[in-house]
Amino acid sequence: MNGKRIGGKTFGKALLSMFLAAPALALAVAVPGEKAPDFSEVDASGAKHSLADYKGEWLVIEWFNKDCPYVRKHYGSGNMQALQKKYTSEDIKWLTVISSARGKQGYLEPAAALEVAENHNLNASAPFVLDSDGSMGRAYGAKTTPHMFIINPEGEVVYAGAIDDNDSANPAVIPQSKNFVAAALDASMKGEGIEVASSRAYGCSVKY
Amino acid sequence: MKSALSGPSIGRASPVRFLRSIAIILVSVALSAIASPAFAQDTASGDHVRVRWLAPDTFAAGETTTIGFYFEVDPEWHVYWRNAGDSGAAPRFDTRSERATLGPIQWPFPVRLPIEHLTNLGYAGDVAYLFEVTPVADAGRVDLRADLEWLVCKIDCIPGFGSMTLDRPVAEYAQWDERDLALRERFLDRVPANAALSPWRAERLAELPAGGLQLTLRDTRGGEARPPAVFPLDGGLLAARAPQVEADGNRVHYRFDRVPGAPLPEATGFVVADGKRAWQFNRVPVGAPVPAAPPQALWLLVLAAFAGGVILNLMPCVFPVLSIKLFGLVNAGAGAPHRLREGLLYSAGVMVTFAALGALLLALRAGGAAIGWGFQLQSPTVVLGLILLFWLMALSFSGVLEFGHRLMDLAGSTRGGSFATGVLAVFVAAPCTGPFMGAALGAASVLPAVSAMAIFLGLGAGLAAPFLLLCASPALLKRLPGPGPWMDTLRQFLAFPLYLTVIWLLWVLGRLMGDSGWLIGSLLLVAVVFALWLGRRFTLFGPGTGRFAGYAIFAVATIVAFAALRAPQHATPELAGSEWQPYDRAAIEAARADNRPVFIDYTAAWCITCQVNKKLVLESETVMELFRTNDVLLVRADWTNHDPEITAALGELGRNSVPVYAWYTPGASEPELLPQILQERMITALFNNGGSLTQTKENDTP
Repeated sequence: MNGKRIGGKTFGKALLSMFLAAPALALAVAVPGEKAPDFSEVDASGAKHSLADYKGEWLVIEWFNKDCPYVRKHYGSGNMQALQKKYTSEDIKWLTVISSARGKQGYLEPAAALEVAENHNLNASAPFVLDSDGSMGRAYGAKTTPHMFIINPEGEVVYAGAIDDNDSANPAVIPQSKNFVAAALDASMKGEGIEVASSRAYGCSVKY
Repeated sequence: MKSALSGPSIGRASPVRFLRSIAIILVSVALSAIASPAFAQDTASGDHVRVRWLAPDTFAAGETTTIGFYFEVDPEWHVYWRNAGDSGAAPRFDTRSERATLGPIQWPFPVRLPIEHLTNLGYAGDVAYLFEVTPVADAGRVDLRADLEWLVCKIDCIPGFGSMTLDRPVAEYAQWDERDLALRERFLDRVPANAALSPWRAERLAELPAGGLQLTLRDTRGGEARPPAVFPLDGGLLAARAPQVEADGNRVHYRFDRVPGAPLPEATGFVVADGKRAWQFNRVPVGAPVPAAPPQALWLLVLAAFAGGVILNLMPCVFPVLSIKLFGLVNAGAGAPHRLREGLLYSAGVMVTFAALGALLLALRAGGAAIGWGFQLQSPTVVLGLILLFWLMALSFSGVLEFGHRLMDLAGSTRGGSFATGVLAVFVAAPCTGPFMGAALGAASVLPAVSAMAIFLGLGAGLAAPFLLLCASPALLKRLPGPGPWMDTLRQFLAFPLYLTVIWLLWVLGRLMGDSGWLIGSLLLVAVVFALWLGRRFTLFGPGTGRFAGYAIFAVATIVAFAALRAPQHATPELAGSEWQPYDRAAIEAARADNRPVFIDYTAAWCITCQVNKKLVLESETVMELFRTNDVLLVRADWTNHDPEITAALGELGRNSVPVYAWYTPGASEPELLPQILQERMITALFNNGGSLTQTKENDTP
């Protein structure tokens, strides 16, 4: 935005600008307390997933890039898979999304994605959701891997941000870290309010 | 080794014992690495990073000395500030000493580093993270042990880990290597000082209607100082992206985006940096929210909407309705109180309809649907639909076709009450309200709900006011010109702006689809006229056959035309004059790396403001000459078709509409955005002013 003024603000200009203004669009991102943005993507096995499919269920969405050191922090230590296993066994749905564009770091063809899901012991509700055009990532405002979102059965975002409070790349810090996603899910399952609904998502940039 | 483990012939060295001895060796090596200085290092390194101490050869007894970790980073790679921004991470230092007390890490002020769709806060080049060391009494030596973790990124990020030790004698004076001392001074100067020492005062911090925060700084020197750069300390609260900056006398407003869903704290901190020095404002209390919009501006917008509403009364589709209704009331010989009641009822009808329209749009907006008038013009189907609508309206105004008159008559003569007339007036007026509704829609998509509704109601009040006034005042009623042939003349005249609109839309369609757009559009127009002519002219095979044929042709032509749009056609937008390059991120990055200035024109064929600016300013001889002599890379980012890359680039600039004019001074890390309505002097100012209008350059890191 520029500080310089262009002449005085006149009535005529206001009227003129009403005609000329190309109206801006509100950027839709996933904001805690608001409706989750819609999405419709295909996973590595070819199955389609859209927000409507998860109506009435708790849904965790995780952004993934196999080459990102922060993703490796949580997968190499088994932390992420353990969370996936624990919560999917409580009937919570979990989608792990790859938004890397073709040719960018972390992009995977469906066959390769199935292989990576296998050797990472992915415990999500589906093999990787492949969002190579970035439409889902942009709709959610996914900035980093891992960027985490939790959506309640009413389709509202209840958490957006980092997986925990420690942005070190060292897996050794995981036991001492406060896991925001687990805390939010545990509180919700007990019917309690979520203490931290938003945090700065740390990690590698999503490679749109 | 493998044979030793598996070969039974070496019998005695049992595998278990062998493994145990290896484990013992490993553990003892690890222990000695921790315990013994023989393994200590005074440097650490990783991919693209080398770290060494910035410390004196001797410490002064009892005195505090500032020392640091000096990070040498490969070109184009970055390490980060305490708040790393959208991604990345600040380095971590775990420093311990038995013979000295240590202060906290002091962070030199950062620069904004745009990385693809994100902004990080860090350092473009080498940096020293500093801290204070005070030897304890009677210490003969100072020993430090530090475990480091850092993250270095270009686009991909690589974490690094290291341990460093420092062991230096304590003497009477601190003895420095001169070059190291100069380096430390350089970075110490960039460590933020106490806010009390700053020429800037944090006057106000308030929530914006859209949820962001606005920080207002006041310059106590009262001079014409350039607005300093401001960095939020709390990355969990405010986005790292450069705030919108607005200078206002000796005050500067910074509008920051809030991290989605972040709760509003009582206070938050900022670092203010003028390029050489910086000051830290630790706790700026969050005050009362900024009012929904500057009251004066909203007042003007509502007034403009009201004026627009009044003008709607003169529109050929509204005027006859109101005239018929009005004369009906007069002829019925109704008394003044009855007429006033009718007038009020009519006004209520208008207002309720506008309020309902406004509520519908706000509801759509709340539902997350992106509403934008211009954006819809990216769809060829919508454009062709508008062409057809405006063509039919123009023909109707010219008298070729009776279109909507029945509806007008109904509205005019309805006995169903004036309320219904008001409702109908809004709907009948709809084709004429296009531009006004477009502006109101635009306002509704950016303004907070209350203001947007105020604009809709302003339009409604404007539409209702003249009728109400006439009902209330018999004196005015008598002065009204009677309906007559002049109305037809006016109507016919108003057909011509509509024909021009059709031509403009055809041009937009041509830009969207290439030559075939023109062809499909024009053929449809001819087919419509042919169908009309057929319908009127031929009653040869009985009444109605011609009309039936007309309808059939009309329907077939429309279906064929819209189907033709669906065929995959994509025209590359041609660029008039080779001096403007199409948008290519790599080329822009390359030019910026070469210290070449870059000017980007984010534009679209359907954006009238863009076209006006292009013709009057950007392609004027003076401006092109300036661009040429300064060897500016000219980029035209054409958003006529939906282009995700350009959408993303706009998003990085904090915009989601065109026009946007981005100017990169050589070496600047952040572009400067020019006003939406361009003037030639704004471009010339870029070159007279050292290349920048207002914003302090943020890139002068050593």
